[in-house]
Amino acid sequence: MLQKPRSRGRSSAQAEKDKEWSPGRVTRVPSGGVAEEAPSTSRGPGGSQEALSSASQAARRAQAAPSAGPRTQKQLELKVAELVQFLLIKDQKKIPIKRTDIMKHVVGDYKDIFPDLLKLAAQRLQYVFGYQLVELEPKSNTYILINTLEPVEEDAEVRGDQGTPTTGLLMIVLGLIFMKGNTIKETEVWDFLRRLGVYPTKKHLIFGDPKKLITEDFVRQRYLEYRRIPHTDPVDYEFQWGPRTNLETSKMKVLKFVAKVHNQDPKDWPAQYCEALADEENRARPAPEPSGQAPSS
Amino acid sequence: MPNSLICCTPFLQKFPSYMQSSARRMGIMTDVHRRFLQLLMTHGVLEERDVKRLQKHCYEVHDRNATVEKLEDFINNINSVLESLYIEIKKGVTEDDGRPFYALVNLATTSVSKMATDFAENELDLFRKALELIIDSETGFASSTNILNLVDQLKGKKMRKKEAEQVLQKFVQNKWLIEKEGEFTLHGRAILEMEQYIWETYPDATKMCNICHRLLIQGQSCETCGIRMHLPCVAKYFQSNPEPHCPHCNDYWPHEIPEVFDPEKEREAGISKLNKKSLRSRQH
Repeated sequence: MLQKPRSRGRSSAQAEKDKEWSPGRVTRVPSGGVAEEAPSTSRGPGGSQEALSSASQAARRAQAAPSAGPRTQKQLELKVAELVQFLLIKDQKKIPIKRTDIMKHVVGDYKDIFPDLLKLAAQRLQYVFGYQLVELEPKSNTYILINTLEPVEEDAEVRGDQGTPTTGLLMIVLGLIFMKGNTIKETEVWDFLRRLGVYPTKKHLIFGDPKKLITEDFVRQRYLEYRRIPHTDPVDYEFQWGPRTNLETSKMKVLKFVAKVHNQDPKDWPAQYCEALADEENRARPAPEPSGQAPSS
Repeated sequence: MPNSLICCTPFLQKFPSYMQSSARRMGIMTDVHRRFLQLLMTHGVLEERDVKRLQKHCYEVHDRNATVEKLEDFINNINSVLESLYIEIKKGVTEDDGRPFYALVNLATTSVSKMATDFAENELDLFRKALELIIDSETGFASSTNILNLVDQLKGKKMRKKEAEQVLQKFVQNKWLIEKEGEFTLHGRAILEMEQYIWETYPDATKMCNICHRLLIQGQSCETCGIRMHLPCVAKYFQSNPEPHCPHCNDYWPHEIPEVFDPEKEREAGISKLNKKSLRSRQH
């Protein structure tokens, strides 16, 4: 019979575990101290208890009370792992990840090597998952993950969520904005959507609350910019593409989507086609590297 | 566009052995594996049959002509790469009917870290309360009523019972809990991810299966000596035994031997369906 971990009174074990239950935190106590040898991945019954035990013990010892001095390979590896997991989880919600949040929740004691940690995490994200870590806008100190794998129509059949906007309400709005010259009034958006049976005030079977989706969710996710137009009465707002849209898709892709919907060719809109071509040329030039450096004082 | 993120020479000079050892340990990731991992992450946990479908899809997108690798080897390869990230694709079996599934679990901490970023403090505490009730129970199920009665003891923002009901549903939708007739138990994925945590936190109340020695939430127990077994473990242990006896005290095993998932039977059922179809079409 397997040995169970040392028995401890529930209250003391609970108290220690309570430290790990804080919401929004991926890591618990600041790292330091000496770590164990490599945790083994568990396979099959029986043996897994010990394997899991050593993995978590190794992890927890690596996270033990802070101490000065050089960090071990294991500690660094764990820190990078935590950073990768943090970035993945945060990006799933499509909310740009702030550097301050990364510092607060993951980096902790390792502030001094933050740029290197970020670079390593970015490497792993690219090699293992095919995600590229990019800064939303230069010097914004917020990051998003871009998928380097092209989404494929059949993905929709095997995935467990809705994925990024290849179809759906957002794509329609993005198309509208681009075709109307990169900026459009909110009233015009609803005039158009009404024709599709989507209303700002009515609950929609698929989109739920379209008004909230377009003016709040997509804006918070940085797909859209939503600005009040001054001196309008009644108040009107205007929409533009947000920084995430430019990173995740392109004018050409959106134009092709619009063309497909109309069963036409992108070249049928010469002005937009020219603009999309110019955009493609701009993209072909290498993008600046995301900076892990703190802004210089 | 060149990937300008790859090289970080100053860092490499500081910690050269880190990079070397990871290269030695790693398996090979191709776009087939990456797409698979990305799409698997959208589920969190997935039945084996659907995982095979997913794997096939990824081959079709990136490597049409290649032979689809045996799933176990395919996953082992990915796991060897994930090891340094403290993540693993673990295989489990559902406690009620023995269906195999795969879940992405986090090995870096023993607490529910994925949950910790998805849920608020009071929601996490509600889960913890439900977990305690489930572990303490005889059947492995905690009633909705009993869980909701603990709402006043939750940490964080005050939660009403109505809200707690919705949070419990959120746990079911996100596959941390299973609901059956107003009672809640742990989803197989929660067991896989939190097994170690549960052993360590509730060492006296946690139950173990006499056959496989893994954590047991739902199962059958011997009325004489009290040992417990998972339903799939019972089915396997007593298969085609007309007079089942307790493996520990040898007393008559008083429970019905359950029917559990058998991949061979599923395939045969599929093939016989196909045969029936082709017969029908030939008759036209």
